[in-house]
Amino acid sequence: MAKLNDILSPFTAWKHVVREPVTIKDPLNREAADRYRGFHKNDISECIGCGTCESICQNAAIDLVPVDGVETKDGDSGLRPRVDYGRCCWCGLCVDVCTTNSLSLSNEYTWVDEDPDNFRFVPGAENKSWDSREKGYKKPGNGYELYNPKREAMEELEPEKRDQSFIEIVQGYSKEQAEQEADRCVECGICVATCPAHMGIPEYIKAIRNDDLNEGLRVLYDTNPLPEICGRICTHKCETVCSVGHHGDPLSIRWLKRYIADQNPAEEYKKILNTENLQPTGKKVAIIGSGPSGLSAAHYLALMGYQCTIYEKLPAAGGMMRFGIPEYRLPYDQLDKDINYILSLGVEIKYNVTIGKDITLEELHNQYDAVFSGTGLHMGRSTRVPGTDHPKVYQAVDLLRDIVLGKEIPLEENIVVIGGGNVAMDITRSLARLQKQKYGKVGVLATSLESEDIMPADREEVIEAREENAVIDPGWGPVEIETEGDKVKGLHVVKCLSVFDENRRFAPKFDEEQKKFFPADMVVESIGQGMDLSYLPEAFKEQLDMDQRGRILVNDDFQTSAGWLFAGGDIIQGPDVIHGIANGHKAAMGIDKYLSEK
Amino acid sequence: MQTIIENLQKHFQVVSYHQQRENLGFLIASKEVAVGLITHLRDYEGFAHLVLLTAVDWIEDEHFQLTYLLHHPEKKVDLGVRVMISRENAEMYSIHHLWEQARTYQRELREMFGINFPGSPDVDKPFILEGWEEIPPYRRDFDTKEYSEKTYFPRPGRETHDPAEYMKKKLYPNE
Ligand SMILES: Cc1cc2nc3c(=O)[nH]c(=O)nc-3n(C[C@H](O)[C@H](O)[C@H](O)COP(=O)(O)OP(=O)(O)OC[C@H]3O[C@@H](n4cnc5c(N)ncnc54)[C@H](O)[C@@H]3O)c2cc1C
Ligand code: SF4
Ligand code: SF4
Repeated sequence: MAKLNDILSPFTAWKHVVREPVTIKDPLNREAADRYRGFHKNDISECIGCGTCESICQNAAIDLVPVDGVETKDGDSGLRPRVDYGRCCWCGLCVDVCTTNSLSLSNEYTWVDEDPDNFRFVPGAENKSWDSREKGYKKPGNGYELYNPKREAMEELEPEKRDQSFIEIVQGYSKEQAEQEADRCVECGICVATCPAHMGIPEYIKAIRNDDLNEGLRVLYDTNPLPEICGRICTHKCETVCSVGHHGDPLSIRWLKRYIADQNPAEEYKKILNTENLQPTGKKVAIIGSGPSGLSAAHYLALMGYQCTIYEKLPAAGGMMRFGIPEYRLPYDQLDKDINYILSLGVEIKYNVTIGKDITLEELHNQYDAVFSGTGLHMGRSTRVPGTDHPKVYQAVDLLRDIVLGKEIPLEENIVVIGGGNVAMDITRSLARLQKQKYGKVGVLATSLESEDIMPADREEVIEAREENAVIDPGWGPVEIETEGDKVKGLHVVKCLSVFDENRRFAPKFDEEQKKFFPADMVVESIGQGMDLSYLPEAFKEQLDMDQRGRILVNDDFQTSAGWLFAGGDIIQGPDVIHGIANGHKAAMGIDKYLSEK
Repeated sequence: MQTIIENLQKHFQVVSYHQQRENLGFLIASKEVAVGLITHLRDYEGFAHLVLLTAVDWIEDEHFQLTYLLHHPEKKVDLGVRVMISRENAEMYSIHHLWEQARTYQRELREMFGINFPGSPDVDKPFILEGWEEIPPYRRDFDTKEYSEKTYFPRPGRETHDPAEYMKKKLYPNE
């Protein structure tokens, strides 16, 4: 039998001729496995050009390059990754780290081309046959992040512990928490453009990671001389563009800034910041107003050797940071830490001096080489509905100021606040605390034109106000404040349907049929503030370049058409502390330029 | 799987056991007992197949983690045996006498991590790296990027941009 087989086998082998071959006939057209890692794909409308893919690539195969049709704007560098396939090893780390999940690998791996330069291209921007392929390698789902997408939680005082006092609510990070949080930063720097002061955000976050908080402080002071303050109450626009926020929580940039400032003791600032010996220029600058813009200008001018004197109408420094923002958000000792350091550089403040009344602008012009004005917005605007001229109708900013000055403020058991912005929340929450102290219960209601979803106040302000038992009832337009002799009865409102028209212009529409009445013994208006420029003499004002709305015009150096007069802060740009700081810094450099050329 | 582990614990000191899936578990054993334990798993428990042998560099803890992944063909379960060995003079007993193919894994680990397996055939012969002079490349202190930058020249025509600097140039050049 064996023999027979031996004889036949050469013939049986022939049967394989008609069999399907096991080798591949056309290897070039064979599709790879479903999750094979082939050429890159990039959804360039999702990609923000953060360059994290470039940083992680261990083969230096990725460059970030401008791409036609992609614009540089807030939150998007306008650059896109270009891959050099002479170096790419297809490891997929770039896909794993991509902050927007825009980058992936297709399963296409065959491509023949004579020109080696073609193997370097911008995926997604230069069309490739595999762009529409679904198969390939994508970042695996949740739990596979190379950095933690969750933010370190911040400890806050519970509502029951805070609703009667003005103790600071936010507790601050511990060293471990700050380092964990800092570890999430991918160091892209996308946030820097959005910060009005263009702070070195990735650099100071890196200093936290390296536990070099002196270096952190130096980075902060390069662009911001009020870090304790901004570390608490900054509007933190930077966090809205943080690349980590695309698929996770953005970095807690603001709390990290506070952490650095909190950890550096005030007594060591001068040594750390190397400001023990400043070289005087012999020139003098007057500054009107000790708000953030005035303080920032004074700080940077003092560093350059100018003798600065700030003239302040009120008995303490800080402007709206002290007389507007309540203590539970910004404690006075922290405010003073920042301000006292600036004073220690030789800056002088003359309190209780109103320019235009006690001293004229002309006098300042004659006595100083240059003048900076940062007088802010202090006059509360009125809705002007009938009843607003009643003595029991107040302005939020006036009450907030009086609380800080320690004056007894009028405080009824039932109060209505008109306004839906952060200032309205500040007065509502301050009044709630005072009511709780005085009456043992809260009776304050805030109402705004804007409905809940478009209320200008920060979300957490609204939530916290409610936790403190204030009522927030948004979406109503004030019609009339009902009064009876020396008493206020309450506020009549109608439903507000929309606030803006198609062109985003303010044009509220109402449904007069839907009415409501909020009973109250006093009403507080908080719908915005206007400026008081009465210190500019009429004749001078006529020569000064101003716009139709009565705003002073300035150039890039925050210099007015008068040359010697510079201006910044809320009267020019606003509407927050960090803009004031940035304006003051630029004005300081502008003044230096102006006086050096003079 | 649980009975296998209980059985094992009668004979060997198993530091910890973690059941990852119904058909996959990992245990940690000391360097001294590992080879005996693996032999026992092969000869008495039926883990006939060595799926792989691999390592992780836990540089912060100053040790390498070896993983022997064993497969039980009848029960269709996998068991990973993890062994921590010191990074310094990293060395482990060879198992080439249990599975012939282990010598290849051990040669690879020798080259990529610098872990020695005395007695393993050809363990010192280059595996895929030729003329390698650096520290073993899978050690975490090997700087891959620095190596690729110094070894492979950049092709002409390459240029890159830092996002923050580029945005400054585009959006606020004068500040
Ligand atoms: C209630 C409230 C809460 C706020 N919360 C925040 C917040 O959380 N985060 C944030 O970033 N911003 C906040 N802001 C806005 C912020 O406070 C302002 O944008 C900022 O303070 C403006 O700075 P500035 O330098 O222009 O002037 P201001 O801070 O307004 O200071 C101007 C100073 O000039 C003085 N002055 C005015 N006229 C004269 C004169 N003729 N002579 C002498 N001195 C004069 C004033 O007394 C005052 O001290 C808040 C504002 C308010 C009202
Ligand atoms: S990491 Fe992602 S979002 Fe960032 S540049 Fe690369 S592809 Fe674009
Ligand atoms: S904070 Fe966010 S946006 Fe800024 S550098 Fe870090 S990761 Fe990038």
